[in-house]
This record gives sequence, C-alpha cells and structure tokens, in this order.
Amino acid sequence: MSKDSIHDENDVRSATASYQSEFPYEQGEEAQVTRREFCNFLGLTSAGFFLGSAGFAAKAALDRGKTTSLAAARIEGAASLGLNSALNFNYPTEKDSAILIRTDSGEFHAYGQKCTHLACPVYYERQHKRLECPCHEGAFDAATGNVLYGPPPRPLDVIEIEMRDGEVWATGRKALG
Amino acid sequence: MGHRQKGFGVRQRDRSAAVWQARLIMLVMINIAQLWILAATVDAALSHHYSVLVPLVVASGICFLITLSIIRWWRPTSNQRTSTGYVRSAKER
Repeated sequence: MSKDSIHDENDVRSATASYQSEFPYEQGEEAQVTRREFCNFLGLTSAGFFLGSAGFAAKAALDRGKTTSLAAARIEGAASLGLNSALNFNYPTEKDSAILIRTDSGEFHAYGQKCTHLACPVYYERQHKRLECPCHEGAFDAATGNVLYGPPPRPLDVIEIEMRDGEVWATGRKALG
Repeated sequence: MGHRQKGFGVRQRDRSAAVWQARLIMLVMINIAQLWILAATVDAALSHHYSVLVPLVVASGICFLITLSIIRWWRPTSNQRTSTGYVRSAKER
C-alpha cells in the first residue's frame, strides 16, 4: 500500500532502485526537474514579475516627483535655422534630447524628442511636415505636438520657447495629455 | 484484497497527478498574465501614464498572492474516504 501511494515528486530524489544505494549520484537524473521544483521556479518567476512591475512604477513615480523649475537655455544655431527645417538640442539637461522645428511661416516649435509610446526618438519629416517615430510608425503634428496617428497615447512634451534679442531660448517643458 | 488495494492506489496516484498538473497549468497561466502586466507597466511608465501604474502593480501583486497560495496550500488531498464520505488527510490517519 505504501509503495502504491507514492504520488509525489519528492520521491524522485529518494528513488528506491537498488543500485542507487551504491551509486547515489546519477548525472541523467540530476538534469531532470521535478514538478515541485518547477512549481517553485514559477513562484520565483511570479515574485520577479511583481517586483519588476513595482520597481518600474516606483521609478516612474520618483521621476515624476523630481520635476522642478527649469532654467532658461539658449538654443545654439536656432537663429540661422532655415524654413521647414529642424534642429536637435538638449533641454533641460544634456540627457534630454529635444527637437526645434521652424515652419514654413517662420514660427518656432520645440518638443521633447522622445516618442510618448516607447521613448524612441522622433524626427522631422519635411515632406509631410510632421514628426514621425520610426519604431512603431507613430506621427505627431509639427505645429501642436498632437498625435496624428499610430500608437502614441499622448502628445509630445512641449518645450516652451521665447525670442530674446533675436535668439531662441528654451524656458520650460510641460507634458500634455 | 491486495489487487483491490493496488487498483485504489493507482486511481489515487492518477488523481494526485491531475491535481499537480492543474497546479502547474494555473501557475503557468498566472505567469503569462504577470508577464503581460509587466509589459503594460513598462509601457505606462515610459509613456508617463501614471494613472494606470497603481492598478497594474496591484494586479501583479494579486497574481503573486494567488501563486503563493497555490504553491503553499493547494495540494492534493490524500487519500482515503471515511465512512461519512469525507476525505481524510494523511495526518489524520
């Protein structure tokens, strides 16, 4: 009865074949994973996924709280930018890439260069006069930063700009949507 | 009698294996769901969609708790029916 009622993978490791008392180590069986071990592995994986989600959420919340008043910065080379052209610059820090666009009418618009979908850098597409993301084919209006089509869930971050003595200055940054 | 006992043991082992299989399948499904939740969390974090972050983390936490409960408590019962029809555990016998 007791042998018949063996039903658990605990018994795999303590297998009862006679030769195992003399040669308890068997390489082939060491490579096997019991159902119990696999269950425990899935439990660890589940914990990892949970901690990963919590970590990403915590980091996003921390980054959100870090927003402070931004110092104005002159955009080098903006004054000489041609019509229907774009210029890359960094604002508010060297790590934050941004894009300045001069429209056909001479107006300046500036946006954070990270796509709001998965943070790929957007580029200015002159022919269609829009900002496009090459990763997942999203597009934004060059005049407003609004989403034209594609997966981005919200408009691009807008960089506020001012004209000071003929130079273009970035003075702030705000997220829309 | 011995033959009957052996048959009973085999049935019992089959039932136990089925429970283990069910546990495994549930754990795998929960893991897949959690992987999807993690992907959605990364997506929301990168796109600054803060409002959905907390529900996603809570959902992942609930999945983890279910996983824990499956691993810790949902075990095959063993083994024998009593005269009243209740299943009696090994410890009680």
